[in-house]
Amino acid sequence: MVKITYVEHDGERTTVDAQPGESMMKAAVSHGVAGIEAVCGGNCACGTCRIYVDDNWRAKLPSPGESESEMIDFCGDPDPRVRLSCQIAVSEDLDGMEVTLPESQQ
Amino acid sequence: MTNFETADVFKDLDVNDDPYSYFEYLRGKGPVTPLALRNVVAVTGYDEGVAIFRDDENFSAIDSTTGPFLPLDYDPSLDIDDQIARCRQENPFANTIINQDLPDHNRSKAILNGIITPARLKENEAFMHTLSDQIIDEFIDRGTFDAVSEYGQPFAQLVIADLLGVPKEDHGQFRDMIGDPAQLPGALGGDFDFSKNPFVGIATYFATYIQERRANPRGDVLTRLAQQTADDGSLPDVMEVVAVATFLFGAGQDTTVQLFTGMMRYLAENPGLEDRLRENPALIPDLVEEVLRLQGTVKSTFRYVRRPVTVGGVDLEPGMHVMINLAAMNRDPKRFPDPTTFDIERKNVRSHVSFGRGIHACAGGPLARAEARVTMERLLPRIRNIRLNEAKHGPAGARHFDYLPNYSLRGVSEMQVEFDRID
Ligand code: HEM
Ligand code: FES
Repeated sequence: MVKITYVEHDGERTTVDAQPGESMMKAAVSHGVAGIEAVCGGNCACGTCRIYVDDNWRAKLPSPGESESEMIDFCGDPDPRVRLSCQIAVSEDLDGMEVTLPESQQ
Repeated sequence: MTNFETADVFKDLDVNDDPYSYFEYLRGKGPVTPLALRNVVAVTGYDEGVAIFRDDENFSAIDSTTGPFLPLDYDPSLDIDDQIARCRQENPFANTIINQDLPDHNRSKAILNGIITPARLKENEAFMHTLSDQIIDEFIDRGTFDAVSEYGQPFAQLVIADLLGVPKEDHGQFRDMIGDPAQLPGALGGDFDFSKNPFVGIATYFATYIQERRANPRGDVLTRLAQQTADDGSLPDVMEVVAVATFLFGAGQDTTVQLFTGMMRYLAENPGLEDRLRENPALIPDLVEEVLRLQGTVKSTFRYVRRPVTVGGVDLEPGMHVMINLAAMNRDPKRFPDPTTFDIERKNVRSHVSFGRGIHACAGGPLARAEARVTMERLLPRIRNIRLNEAKHGPAGARHFDYLPNYSLRGVSEMQVEFDRID
């Protein structure tokens, strides 16, 4: 099990036991993290599963692929830490990771 | 008036004309409530519906467009997944992208994602502006138009044609291939004549385009479509690409047309609103969202239960059809306070479910939103004093419309709008 903490915009924290291999979006949604909407169910088509990842953890993630980058541009979220949680697979390296969530996914 | 207790929502014309009262009756019985007919369970609760959309394991999308008229008589002594697979093989309409389950759905979705890219949407939007102006030119001197046949249908059809790269010289033919909304899945009573469907004509065009581009690539949008690979990196069959492309003409036609009629209706019923939008066009997207919430075209969609599961305290058994009433979820007072009030300043309006949720969520959402916004941006500077034709639709407070006879789609067959021309 990999522990990941999602911090809502209002500061509410949820730590979940994520399964290696599932996406960070799935891990959040299946544990009721409200700040991840994931309208498109992980198809990289909606941009409503955005998370903000600080530099130290960012370095441990594979860089965004072409479709993730395109979708991030399309949503116009100006925060430089933004990633799409549906495009990031949970791995043992991410144990203890903390990410914050946007005020609104729209 | 129909007795809701015994009403057959799949046939009843009164319920069809005013589905919202029926949904409130259902809500009164609980967010998830069995109907005493056709093995259907109705969902009106927002959270409950979203939970079902997110659960691809216990629910199949095979019945999303047909609901209980799916030609599958479940036999509990046999494996349900085998029965679903057989039903798909025998009924091509149960095997389109919107009916597929994982992992097959991933394949269609990969093809689709190659078509609807953010970059393509941007190019397509430039075309929308020109197209909107051209269509408005056709009726601007008349002071009246039918928002369905004289704006919505040609606009929605040609926007998709352009999205897919249909050459300009063929646009005229595509404009002529618009289907009769009475012959769609979801028709009351469960029968519709698919042979009257224009998809066959459209599919023929696309089969030619794709074959031709595979033989002679030429760096246009259709060539990109022809070369788009599936999720496993392989080049799909020509007919697979044709199926996805053709599906877009069905999915993006009547749905979007009714978004235009919805906007026209709210503009006509709320004098002052058009001036507000003209002064501050940045409010147009908020109008679009509130119209989608209150008048989303897909009032109900379906999922087929394939494993025993409990939702909202109700036990569901394999073989049941869950009727997910998007129109009711969008009026769930727990999610949207004072839900029937039209208010373009609602904070959480964009969390409406008019485009569904989960892996089947509408692929055309961004496109439909752009179509609606561009339409308002082009119309409002050219026409004012938007009204409904009273001879046709009755006076304010006592309007009447011919609603599409369909248990899945909500819409009108005609909307006669009157206006003054701005010079
Ligand atoms: C206001 C207009 C529209 C509305 C209200 C709407 C609504 C919906 C809804 C509710 C679904 C999901 C159904 C379910 O999960 O059972 C859906 C799916 C879909 N829509 Fe739309 N739609 C609209 C416009 C469009 C347009 C313009 C296109 C095409 C470009 C489109 C393409 C699709 C496709 C391809 C799917 C299936 C996605 C999948 O199964 O993966 N829609 N739509
Ligand atoms: S869930 Fe839609 S982009 Fe991630």
